[in-house]
Amino acid sequence: MKKRILSGLALGASVALLAAACSTSEEPGGSGSGGTGGEKVTLTVWENNTAGEKGPKFWQDTKAAFEKDHPNVTIEIVPVPNEDLDGKLQTAMNGGNPPDVFLQRGGGKLAEMVAAGMVADITDAIDAPDIPEGAFGAGTLNGKRYSMPMSVQPGGLWYSKDLFKEAGIDNPPTTWAEFTDAVKKLQEKDIIPVALGAKDAWPAAHWFYWFALRQCSSDTLEKASNEADLSDPCFLKAGENLKDFAAMNPFQDGFLTTPAQNTPDSADGLMSQHKAAMQLMGSWEPGAVGSLTEDGEPLPDMGFFPFPEIDGGQGQPGSMMGGMDSFSCSSKAPMPACTDFLNFLGSASVQAAFATANSAIPASSAQEAQDTVTLPALQEALAAYAKAPYVSMWLDTRLGQNIGNALNTGIVDMLAGKGSPQAIIDGANAAAAKG
Amino acid sequence: MTASARENVRTSPADLSTGGGSATALPPHPARRRRSRGGWKARVEIVALSAPAVVVFVTFVILPVILAGYYGFFRWKGYGPPTEFIGLRNYVVIFQDPEFRSALTHNFQIVVLSLVMQGPVAIAFALLLNKKMRGQSLIRVLIFVPYVISEAVAGIGWAMILSDRGAANGFLAKLGISGESWLADPSIAMWTLMVILTWKYIGYATILFLAGLQGIPEELHEAASIDGASYWQTQRYVVLPLLGPTLRIWAFLSIIGSLQLFDIVYIIWGQYISGTAGVSTMATYMNSNGRMSGNFGYGSAVAVVMFLVSLVIALVYQRFVLRRDTAGALTEGEG
Repeated sequence: MKKRILSGLALGASVALLAAACSTSEEPGGSGSGGTGGEKVTLTVWENNTAGEKGPKFWQDTKAAFEKDHPNVTIEIVPVPNEDLDGKLQTAMNGGNPPDVFLQRGGGKLAEMVAAGMVADITDAIDAPDIPEGAFGAGTLNGKRYSMPMSVQPGGLWYSKDLFKEAGIDNPPTTWAEFTDAVKKLQEKDIIPVALGAKDAWPAAHWFYWFALRQCSSDTLEKASNEADLSDPCFLKAGENLKDFAAMNPFQDGFLTTPAQNTPDSADGLMSQHKAAMQLMGSWEPGAVGSLTEDGEPLPDMGFFPFPEIDGGQGQPGSMMGGMDSFSCSSKAPMPACTDFLNFLGSASVQAAFATANSAIPASSAQEAQDTVTLPALQEALAAYAKAPYVSMWLDTRLGQNIGNALNTGIVDMLAGKGSPQAIIDGANAAAAKG
Repeated sequence: MTASARENVRTSPADLSTGGGSATALPPHPARRRRSRGGWKARVEIVALSAPAVVVFVTFVILPVILAGYYGFFRWKGYGPPTEFIGLRNYVVIFQDPEFRSALTHNFQIVVLSLVMQGPVAIAFALLLNKKMRGQSLIRVLIFVPYVISEAVAGIGWAMILSDRGAANGFLAKLGISGESWLADPSIAMWTLMVILTWKYIGYATILFLAGLQGIPEELHEAASIDGASYWQTQRYVVLPLLGPTLRIWAFLSIIGSLQLFDIVYIIWGQYISGTAGVSTMATYMNSNGRMSGNFGYGSAVAVVMFLVSLVIALVYQRFVLRRDTAGALTEGEG
């Protein structure tokens, strides 16, 4: 198996060398090709809506609508399963044949692509008046924009109103004291307070990130993310918060080997079967849990409340964390056809269709798009998001794969009783030496 | 040992040194020599017939090893060609990383435990199956089936059975016994892994030993029984020593497979928690700190370390253990 991985690595790499040798003569973003009136161009689009029927249909409809307006452009939609997308993209970029339009996750990943000159700067070409300024944040680097946002994914606690009622909790908690009180009440009723899919590490790590958001000021968070330096004491406090919380035993037994999503034995499965009362997640939660219910529909009793405020924390009350789906143009894509397509994705009707197909919250603030948010839980999340004084990207995305991965692993170690808050910070700092 | 252990052994440089036949160095065998004198036609034939295999081997085995060695000297995120040369720093970081050291320790535990757990059981199975009895072929199939099942299927199956809410604990609960955290508890997980590995690869060892047993001439059994040896004495003093070469080759394959173990661990414990559960291996470490973290230079350096560890152990083993077999000392000692 070593050989297989080695050859995979090296094959990609040798292709990269060849590609680098071949591509030096080409000007990135080749001028003159494409355009509205001119020669025929093809845009390949890599997206991750591979499951179900609604997502793929959205992309076929979008393709048809865009081609109708732009007769010289052919769109080729390539669905790539989400877990495979990053690897394939990296290989394609090294091979010198990247897709013209592709799903962009932002953060450290975007920074690496920008450093390698693989992604087009679209600052001047963007024409999407309905997309609010803040939504571009994740795809912005050093004041330049690199991606068109499709949906925003605010995070927080998603809970079962029925189970809360059963445990005698009348209002969703807003402070940490109320929250721990609710956990105890649920435990008394033998209800699992919190579902956690720690096998995938990131769901466990999100707890640490939210504690950090409450403990650290927004300036500290920005600085720490930009410099990949977690030495500020607020991060240690966040680790201690998580350690204390884990000592309450709020998660289901065997959380360490529980996957996050997709199967009945996953954390989402516990939510869909009403075995667990809440889960800390992004706004894909109602849809993801809904796909595991018997009728395949979102749970009717699901609600949302923001991560509770913590006394003495430096974070501005109401701050949120979230992710975002956006699309970038490759630096080799034909212009302006590619940016025309991104602007089309930013239009209110396409944003509305995307949100409907994915049970998502559209990035566009146009009424037509916002009207698609009909699930009560999503509406509650959106309301909290709209009021937030500061919104941070998921910290692991923000810090990049390398440190994000080390943090996630360190946090799981601590939850399993094998580490300490200090070890989480040390592990993240040690990872910097590996890349 | 794993299925890919055999691939690796077949293709490892260590194996080449003992005679993976190269076309130019023909052994001084009279018949062969006559043919090699047969002229161009024979040489063209040899080159033409071996070329595809050699090309594939060089492209997908030799070249990647060299490239990994090259990338190991760089800090490289995988986009574009590597440019940031950092000398041996990746290697320094690897050996200072406690995570890597514990992965290496786990590998050596797996090496030893695989030999100790699989060897005696496989010999017992082979002795049993070597006797004529009813249902023999059925038992043989049952023992061999786990080896034929793909690692992915076996891994997913075991993960579901042994998870905290899985079938195993459900069954124990019905008997009134409270279950364990088979996969998550670091004090149990390594043993769980060893039981799964034994279940998975015992069939392969058994088939090897059975082939070895069937190569032992019937006359020796007869001679021993005429001399008054009991069944157990025959096994101990006649059969086991003659099984030596087979045992030593099996141990070699098992050791290499254990050092490079990846698939079962990765499938059951996933991308993140093998270190937490105490079952990480060098290969899972390479995956999580290389590919998963986007550190392709560092990952390549880990691959090189893995390669060197396996190579050194393979060479030492061949030099000191397998030499007896290659020298034709088939009747000496035991495995």
